Amino acid sequence: MAQSNPPFMSGVPELLLLRLLNEQEMYGYELVRSIKQATNEAITLGEGVIYPVLHSLERNGSLKSKRKPVNGRTRVYYSLTKKGRDRLSKLRDDWMRIQGGVATALETGANA
Amino acid sequence: MREPDFSELATRLLKSGISPRHAHRTVNELRDHYDDLVDAAVDEGANSKNARLSAANELGAMDDFVAEMASRRELKTWAFRYPRLAIIVYPIACLAVLPAMPVFVGIAHRTALVRWGASLLAAGVVTAMLLLIMQLSIILG
Repeated sequence: MAQSNPPFMSGVPELLLLRLLNEQEMYGYELVRSIKQATNEAITLGEGVIYPVLHSLERNGSLKSKRKPVNGRTRVYYSLTKKGRDRLSKLRDDWMRIQGGVATALETGANA
Repeated sequence: MREPDFSELATRLLKSGISPRHAHRTVNELRDHYDDLVDAAVDEGANSKNARLSAANELGAMDDFVAEMASRRELKTWAFRYPRLAIIVYPIACLAVLPAMPVFVGIAHRTALVRWGASLLAAGVVTAMLLLIMQLSIILG
């Protein structure tokens, strides 16, 4: 059974998907494998969960998709748009700020 | 976990208001993803049954998937996004389209319509000829 992630993980799949798609276009299965690899399996998603995120990102213009036939199957490849790159930049800044804040709070708490 | 039923999944997504475009494409992607997981498990040495069970496990519960899709307003049809507006617009649209329906139906079934018209014409000609013969027989008789 896939290990579940805590509730504060909300928004993390979106950030990771944008980050990975910033490198190259990928389809769903490839993306899940890449997330596992890039995070040393620290983040394990119920694999179906990425599709609602991908469709929402495409809907808001952050991603675009195209179909490609590969080994007898039609894959839907996703890639980042200009809007997606802007969104990635914003999410990355938000994440670093929050991560820094939480780290500071934890260190202060530990030293108190 | 049992094997996912993708046709049932599509129906559930549509019932929860997801637009047909997103519902069908997501189900197709999910089916391909499942097949990839099965192939990967078989490559690692699992037998077919265990590979399918493992793939279903990794894919996650379909209930969670439907809930996740349904929580995203942007993936829904406009009638589900704006239900109050739909209640007003749908009846008006139906009333507006109603007078044009015979034309649309006629275009859609034009071959049947042509056959029906030809039969009607033939019947009319035969009836007219019979009436003419009767009239002539009265006049000449």
